[in-house]
Amino acid sequence: MGLALIVGLLGLLILFHAAYSTIQYRGLLKITEEEFSGPPFDVVIELFLGLLLCFWAALTAPGKFLSIHPHSEDNSLFLECRIVSLPANLDFMIFNHRGKAFPVEMDLKLRQ
Amino acid sequence: MVTKTEETQLNRLENQVDNGGGGAWEYLCLVRKLKVRRSEKVLKHGLSILNDLKQRSSLGSDEWTLYEQVAVAAMDCQCLDVAKDCTKVLRKRFLESKRVGRLEAMLLEAKGSWELAEKAYTSLLEDNPLDQAIHKRRVAMAKAQGNISVAIDWLNKYLETFMADHEAWRELAEIYVSLQMYKQAAFCYEELILTQPTVPLFHLAYADVLYTLGGLENLQTAKKYYSSTIDLTGGKNTRALFGICLCTSAITQLTKGKSKEDKEGSQLQSLAAKVLEKDYKQRAPDKLPQLTTALKSLTLSS
Repeated sequence: MGLALIVGLLGLLILFHAAYSTIQYRGLLKITEEEFSGPPFDVVIELFLGLLLCFWAALTAPGKFLSIHPHSEDNSLFLECRIVSLPANLDFMIFNHRGKAFPVEMDLKLRQ
Repeated sequence: MVTKTEETQLNRLENQVDNGGGGAWEYLCLVRKLKVRRSEKVLKHGLSILNDLKQRSSLGSDEWTLYEQVAVAAMDCQCLDVAKDCTKVLRKRFLESKRVGRLEAMLLEAKGSWELAEKAYTSLLEDNPLDQAIHKRRVAMAKAQGNISVAIDWLNKYLETFMADHEAWRELAEIYVSLQMYKQAAFCYEELILTQPTVPLFHLAYADVLYTLGGLENLQTAKKYYSSTIDLTGGKNTRALFGICLCTSAITQLTKGKSKEDKEGSQLQSLAAKVLEKDYKQRAPDKLPQLTTALKSLTLSS
């Protein structure tokens, strides 16, 4: 993980350096009044090297994949997070059930 | 969906509140969040908050949510006076509210004034024909009156418009199961599995329906869905384990040993039986002899 990050940073630095070199090169061409046809060969090499290093870092830095199976060792929280019951379907709640025959025996009133 | 953690938390809070340890508001919030039906307790603890001016004012805008929650709980407990009072308070605060209108119609339902409730729902639907909650209430009302065929028709019509409403699919499935219309129920559970493939209880219900339908193909599919339930619950579902045993036994009887799946099936059988025995040893050792007898009768004893 640490190595991958270092390599990634190195790759980014190389890419930035390649960009800076290209800007400098174009500035030089303006002075010599030549036409820009493309970056120099060493900058292209630098670009590819930077890209490769960044790719390698991006692919290795995220770490190992976790198992897709919910009960595997990787998913230690699974036992706590497993679904044990469905919610009551309250949108379809009906009121004429046995509660009508056995009303709540509490003296309940809403005081305003 | 209610997870193991949430269930534990709910039970802990319930005990705490019942024993006067405080936390009534947290309990009511959790009940609302998990959509569990605890009407008697909601009514008791909700009213205790609403009747205490200091507690009520500390809720801020949540006060009105609590009034609504208590009103519905009161209807469920047939404390219609309390429901009426809560609805009045809400109507006073929200004069033009359709949501309060729905609550008033529900109160009419709870009283058994079906025609008046129907009129109220119809007028609310005229204002907003796409109000899902009101469509659902009409279905519930038909079901409450015993007009199951009307409820089914309305639910089917509703699902033509709102196909992604899994609560409606579940309600329809349960109605079909209650009428022993298993093929239709199976279709509903298929829809539920498509929309929520990680919910093991839908896999289990679908497997139950297929097992009830019978026939070799259905039994084999049921076995697969019982297996997926076990997979999704980490082997913690006793019903699915029994389902595996019953399916395998039924398949063996139907195929009389001709099937190529026999070897794999018997392995699955013995695995399920072992897990069941282990589970019973841990949680209900006194019932282990009955289990062993049952498994032997299915020629499954491990």
